[in-house]
Amino acid sequence: MIPMKNIRPMLASVAIGALLILGMTDPASAGRDRLVIDLVNEPSSLDPHLQWNPDSYYVYRNIFDNLVTRDDEGKIAPQVATEWKQLSDTEIEFTIRDDITFHDRKKLTPEDVVFSVNRITDPKFGSPQLGQFNKIVKAEVSGPNKVKLTTDGPYPALLAQLVKLSIVPKHVVEAVGKDAFNTKPVGSGPYAFGDWQRGVQVTLKRNDAYWGQKGVFPEAAFRAVPDAATRVANLQAGSSDLGVSLDSDLAAQLKSSGRAKPLSVLTERIAYLRLNTAKPPFDNVDVRRAVAHAIDKEGLIQGILGGYDKSSEIMLTPVHFGWMEGIQAPGYNPEQAKELVAKAGDAGKAPIELATAPVFDQRIVQAVQQMLTDAGLNVTINTSDMASYLKRAQSGPETVPTLSYGRWSCACQDADGVLFPLLHTSSGWSAYRNPDADKALEAGRETLDEKKRLDAYGKVHGIVASEVPLVPLYQSAIIYGATNALQWKPTPNESMFLNRMDWKE
Amino acid sequence: MNAAVATSAPPRSRRFRYATWLPLGLVTIFVAAAFLAPYVALYDPNQQNLLARLKAPGFVSRGVTYWLGSDELGRDLLSRLIHGARISLFVAFASVILSGTVGVLLGMLAGYMRGVVEIIVMRVVDIFLSIPAILLAIITVAVLGPGLVNVIVVLALTRWPRYARVAYGQTLGVANMPYVRLATFMGAGPGRILFRHILPNIIGAVTVVATLEFGLMVLFEAGLSFLGLGVQPPTASWGAMLSTGRNYLATAWWIATFPGLCLFLLVLAINLLGDDLRDRFDPRLQ
Amino acid sequence: MQAFLLKRLGQAIVTIFGVATLIFFLQRLTGDPTYLLVPETATPADIEAMRRSLGFDRPIIVQYLAFLTDLAQLDLGRSVIQNVPVTTIIASRLPYTVMLAAGALIVACGIGIPVGILLALWRNSPVAKLLASLVLAAQSMPTFWSGILMILIFAVTLGWLPPSSTGGFENLIMPSIALGLLSMATFARITRTALLDELSKDYVRTARSRGAGLGWILVRHLARNASIPIITVAALEISNLLAGAVIVETVFAWPGLGQVTVQSILARDFLVVQGVVLLGALVTIGLNVLADILYSIVDPRIRLGGVR
Repeated sequence: MIPMKNIRPMLASVAIGALLILGMTDPASAGRDRLVIDLVNEPSSLDPHLQWNPDSYYVYRNIFDNLVTRDDEGKIAPQVATEWKQLSDTEIEFTIRDDITFHDRKKLTPEDVVFSVNRITDPKFGSPQLGQFNKIVKAEVSGPNKVKLTTDGPYPALLAQLVKLSIVPKHVVEAVGKDAFNTKPVGSGPYAFGDWQRGVQVTLKRNDAYWGQKGVFPEAAFRAVPDAATRVANLQAGSSDLGVSLDSDLAAQLKSSGRAKPLSVLTERIAYLRLNTAKPPFDNVDVRRAVAHAIDKEGLIQGILGGYDKSSEIMLTPVHFGWMEGIQAPGYNPEQAKELVAKAGDAGKAPIELATAPVFDQRIVQAVQQMLTDAGLNVTINTSDMASYLKRAQSGPETVPTLSYGRWSCACQDADGVLFPLLHTSSGWSAYRNPDADKALEAGRETLDEKKRLDAYGKVHGIVASEVPLVPLYQSAIIYGATNALQWKPTPNESMFLNRMDWKE
Repeated sequence: MNAAVATSAPPRSRRFRYATWLPLGLVTIFVAAAFLAPYVALYDPNQQNLLARLKAPGFVSRGVTYWLGSDELGRDLLSRLIHGARISLFVAFASVILSGTVGVLLGMLAGYMRGVVEIIVMRVVDIFLSIPAILLAIITVAVLGPGLVNVIVVLALTRWPRYARVAYGQTLGVANMPYVRLATFMGAGPGRILFRHILPNIIGAVTVVATLEFGLMVLFEAGLSFLGLGVQPPTASWGAMLSTGRNYLATAWWIATFPGLCLFLLVLAINLLGDDLRDRFDPRLQ
Repeated sequence: MQAFLLKRLGQAIVTIFGVATLIFFLQRLTGDPTYLLVPETATPADIEAMRRSLGFDRPIIVQYLAFLTDLAQLDLGRSVIQNVPVTTIIASRLPYTVMLAAGALIVACGIGIPVGILLALWRNSPVAKLLASLVLAAQSMPTFWSGILMILIFAVTLGWLPPSSTGGFENLIMPSIALGLLSMATFARITRTALLDELSKDYVRTARSRGAGLGWILVRHLARNASIPIITVAALEISNLLAGAVIVETVFAWPGLGQVTVQSILARDFLVVQGVVLLGALVTIGLNVLADILYSIVDPRIRLGGVR
């Protein structure tokens, strides 16, 4: 019924469209030769120094080697550096491997290591990770295959931070410049950059000249699939081999599908509630303790989280340095909670805004709200998008929400990265003002002596348990979905090393 | 076989009986549920029971009968459905009223006064139509904060241009009518002309648009919940329940299916009524 | 006509300028991307440093003027999140959105128009009424609902189609259907109305009264005249489709502009959003002008400015 003159151009555009689709991508066929991984978003950048988000990290971590790494148990292990020696409180010397070549066949030299450190600490470069490395004030080649780093004062978290420092080839970066390197990264890792179809997928190809453990898959493709239900559908239909970030209910669905399985690991993320001690009703320590008494952590873990996560008494997890047993935090005691709230009288009824963002588990948020309401508190949930949430969360005690739920990770597995930002007066995240806590936190980061550090952090844990500016909830687990034939042990620092995966025979 | 020509249609009253009364009845049921929710719903829609999560319809626990099953936090789905009717209907109704009022007023002004007013209003309409609804939604929520009222504001902000366009087009047609010109000649002021002469003549077309918009608003509220911009948890909105329920289709199909069915039936009923209205107003079918 | 087009061109430029300015300031009301870019452990000093290196610490007027200067040179800027030019991002996503919109339009017309014809010609047949209800039902479901249902049935359970993403022609089928469902009823309705309009015209009555059946010549005339309102509606429906594409693209992981717009808005990647919005504004305004021209052909009373 459509007039002839309109049909021809319409048909032409349809034909062009179809040709475009067919010619554009080769179908992502999952299978032995090509590992297909579904991420939440596509990487924002493959330049290891230019961004800070897990989706980029999953991909570029296979293209580059880092100075040191963590093994599957979580211990710091050699990678580009084979050994290291603390020369003084502020100087550390690394011995660099001499058998590493970049993907363009040029050797990795100590100059490349120095170049990488300088690049990431250069304020003009504008790396978001600057804050993690800016205690390094000098990097220099100190001998054949030796690099010496100098820090501004003792920096106990240095090695933990260096786990995240990728080594980039000086000659390539200087030749092509920042922009070109971002779209065509060259590294020394077990997989080389293949191709990036924006919005569709990033393809990596196995580096057969890799010095270390080579990968099993000739090719790997990372796709962006924002919807968790779709990631599960992909696994069940066999069009992907690995999917990230599933929740416990989706994992149960996967278990019963027979085609794929959930893989999980307890990470260094600690789920917590932050109370604004400057505002009613949380300016009253009894009400704060009531919050801690009101939360049934085991109920949350077994009831909602499928048992994957693990309850915690302190603001750290066993994989952190600074974790210790024996701190007694207020436990689940709903009667006590009700009493404390009632005792506070009208002040206890002040409206509480529970701030969160969609990326956090909404089931937990609602359950927490219910538990606090049962104790007599007046809690309303306020979900805003992540950018707004972060902005408000760091805006200082006057405007910070009364109560917020989040999951904290410093990606460093060290107490300093967790406790200092959340509690120290100088930090934007902290709505807590306590000079004793400040002193202990500073003591913890100013020495390399492990015993002294543990003492200091013990004090902080004690303050948190009795003053309750934070309520630690549980050590968060991450759940991946994997096709049954895939063999892989996820690590607590959420790294995804392709060369540590294998097919089950 | 010449059923094509309109004159051979059977009498209207008999033809439209099912098409009008069935959807009208359905809508009435939903409206009644919305108004009577606190009395009709058996249990508190927000009462959680973590030991009774994801239970199939008919499950009984601690004296609570989950007629339509329980959701991911152990809340009674039936009670949440009944309360959800309030949210869906209220949001849709309020946003239609708000956007309709603003849009029709501006559209009438543009169509009647012409000239600069017309240009400004229609350009503003163009500007609003060019901004993606999602952008407006996220910005509004980021600036005003989340919540029921702001959802209504967001929906109204994105839809008023459509009413403006319809009102504008219709006003152009009506403003040139002899009786309107006569009224102007007789000294009637613009306000009187607009509200006594023009508005009654365009209200038919506007109502048709409004009924269709109503159904769309119900769906859009669901879409906003899907994107995380809708009413705050734990409020029971069908859209939010549907959005969460998507993750449970294989393990607990009831969580998404029943709200989905309600949404579907409500919007279908409204669309059928809207089509019926449109037919009544259509001169070609008289 | 010439004067009309020129006037509309002028208004289009004003509108686009208005859109760009409005979006610029509205977006900046919501903060900036700095918080999303830095690790949680970043100190306020780190955050300030980041903000400075991205240029967000400049006074807003300065940023606005810089933006306008770039725009005048047709430079849409760089994405601060993805570190590539905005045009690269748009160019890589645009074909997918076009494909999706085209696919959805084909589905919507392919089903909607025949149903509309049926409804106009055989209004009382139960088949026509059933089809009308089905088409209406299709418009009554949220797309994220119908989308995931289709994925479950056709991809997971039956295995006929791939569940998501791009790859081949078969990946386009479900997203197109999901999106096209929304517009089927609109096309059915407008086709029926347009046809009924035509059928009541004199030349048809004359021909029928002379005993002629719905001959080929009559059909050609009918088709040609009825197609004008249909195309007008199609032009407007495209903007609806593009809006609905956002959800479909998210559910099916279809890498179109809708998806990148939502992600960029949430990531406060202002320049990408500006680029996409400006592009959208151009398309919408273009379609509106087209619709206006066609509309005025149909109803000369409203012709192009009108008479008092």
